[in-house]
Amino acid sequence: MNPSAPQGQNNVSRRGFLQLTFGWLAGIFAIALSAAGAVRFLVPNVLFEASQVFKAGKPDDFPDGSVTFLEEERVFLVRQGNTYRCLSAICTHLGCTVNRAEKGYHCPCHGSIFDDQGSVKSGPAPHALAWFQVTLSKDSRLLVDKNRKVAADKYLVLPTKA
Amino acid sequence: MMNAPFLTRLWQKFTRSRVGRSIFRVGLPQSNLERSQAMTSSFLLHIQPAKVHKHSLKAGYSLGLGLISLYLFIILIGTGVLLMFYYVPSTASAYNTMKDLQFVVSAGLLVRNMHRWAAHLMVLFVLLHLCRVFYTGAYKRPREFNWVIGVGLFLLTLGLSFTGYLLPWDQLAFWAITVGTNIAGYAPVIGAKVKYVLLGGNIVGQEALTRFYALHVIVLPTLALLMVGVHLWRVRKDGGLSRPDEAGEVVEQIPPGQLPVNKSYGLMELARGTSPQVGKNPEDEVFSWPHLVFREILLFLLVTAVVLFLAIFWNAPLEEFANPIHPPNPAKAPWYFLGLQELVSYSAFWGGVVIPGLLVTALLLLPYLDRKRAGVGRWFARERVVANSIFTLCLLAAIVFTVIGTLFRGPNWDWVEPWRQPPAITEGH
Repeated sequence: MNPSAPQGQNNVSRRGFLQLTFGWLAGIFAIALSAAGAVRFLVPNVLFEASQVFKAGKPDDFPDGSVTFLEEERVFLVRQGNTYRCLSAICTHLGCTVNRAEKGYHCPCHGSIFDDQGSVKSGPAPHALAWFQVTLSKDSRLLVDKNRKVAADKYLVLPTKA
Repeated sequence: MMNAPFLTRLWQKFTRSRVGRSIFRVGLPQSNLERSQAMTSSFLLHIQPAKVHKHSLKAGYSLGLGLISLYLFIILIGTGVLLMFYYVPSTASAYNTMKDLQFVVSAGLLVRNMHRWAAHLMVLFVLLHLCRVFYTGAYKRPREFNWVIGVGLFLLTLGLSFTGYLLPWDQLAFWAITVGTNIAGYAPVIGAKVKYVLLGGNIVGQEALTRFYALHVIVLPTLALLMVGVHLWRVRKDGGLSRPDEAGEVVEQIPPGQLPVNKSYGLMELARGTSPQVGKNPEDEVFSWPHLVFREILLFLLVTAVVLFLAIFWNAPLEEFANPIHPPNPAKAPWYFLGLQELVSYSAFWGGVVIPGLLVTALLLLPYLDRKRAGVGRWFARERVVANSIFTLCLLAAIVFTVIGTLFRGPNWDWVEPWRQPPAITEGH
């Protein structure tokens, strides 16, 4: 710093010490803030993906006891009696689309097998397929919200028609 | 010079002319002085020394693997820039521009093929270069940090190849990136967030394509170019290529406090211990021009010829347009990640997080953990039998898992024997 100061000794004046300290702090602060800002910039605030909430159709479009694959949405709509549920078809392993098997679901990519409840029976999948919330919209359509995961035993129960 | 071919004489005449001298300073060297001037006065050549140790020129020592990697990178920049003149990074147009390159653009197919094969070869040769440096113990003092930069360049190469994989926007691209980014999502704490930022959303779509494109054509190549520069600079500054006879030559540096204040020093006296000249005898060295430069030019021609050969006879694959609903069965990551994918098929956490994390950490820390100086500069030195055995085991495991993931996994990731039947691709639905 000071050319006239003897070398090899750490003699720093009070002013020099403060300058160094604040210099370091300002430098670190500037870099950290820029880095944080750049990272935040890269996190999208708006997604132009298909809506996670969609109308699956009229409840009666799905016959009793059926499991219907909705291709665009990559979900299965499961009806048993007057209860409705919606199961994600996206394998929890690496994101492939699972197929409906005779019993349960089968992932074609890496061989994970799920039972009717979406639980892992075998294969590399780390956890069960997600169940999504199903509600009834005002115009009496099944409304699925893929943002809301629910327990496997949570049903939409509709009153049986007279 | 009178016997030289006409074009050589013409070139010599030009470089000795007023204009030629203003450009090149030195013509085709006639004397040893000019041979060293040819190296030091040229921007492209000056990163290399004027004289080079005979050991460094032995093809059997370095196998030229680092240079080959560099040449492949240069070919990739050249062909990549050409491709950029046609390619449009939009989900609607990307695939069509690939078709245009295949069927409409003059030499478009060739340029794309060259880019593809050079990319695959670069991953392979960077890995081979890493193996060479390990087996010759060349990562040891004073080259520890250059090894770390090299590991960084290896990861950058994988990143470059991976981001380029998505750009054709075909089924292969879409599902390889879907599977690959899902593997990234398994990293603890930050994995899911990294995946979200990388894709710019939850699925592989337009945002992901834009981001991969930006990474592929500007961010990663610039980083790689800078780091290649540092890597080569460090090779020079760390005393050239490692040699068996350099083990004892590390010279103690003078501690700063012991420098007398009033004495002025020449640069040589302050230079670090392993400057290129320390411990070298003049009779061990030859002039870089022509001994090194001509070998380099020859190797470049060879690499270009091999890439051209591959590109002429084998087309880069292009499957049908990307379809987010139907995964191909099986859906596979790029080949260099298939070992990882095979591991992930056993356990996502161990295969996707712990093992690759440990491997990269071990590679980065290696030169600081293994500090014995014995056996540097020789292939498979006896003194390094433990280190070499451990490395070979890891390498073999990686190769075995990659081969299994590539050839022995068919639909549903079931075991198939590639020589029995071609793995039948059945539709997901």
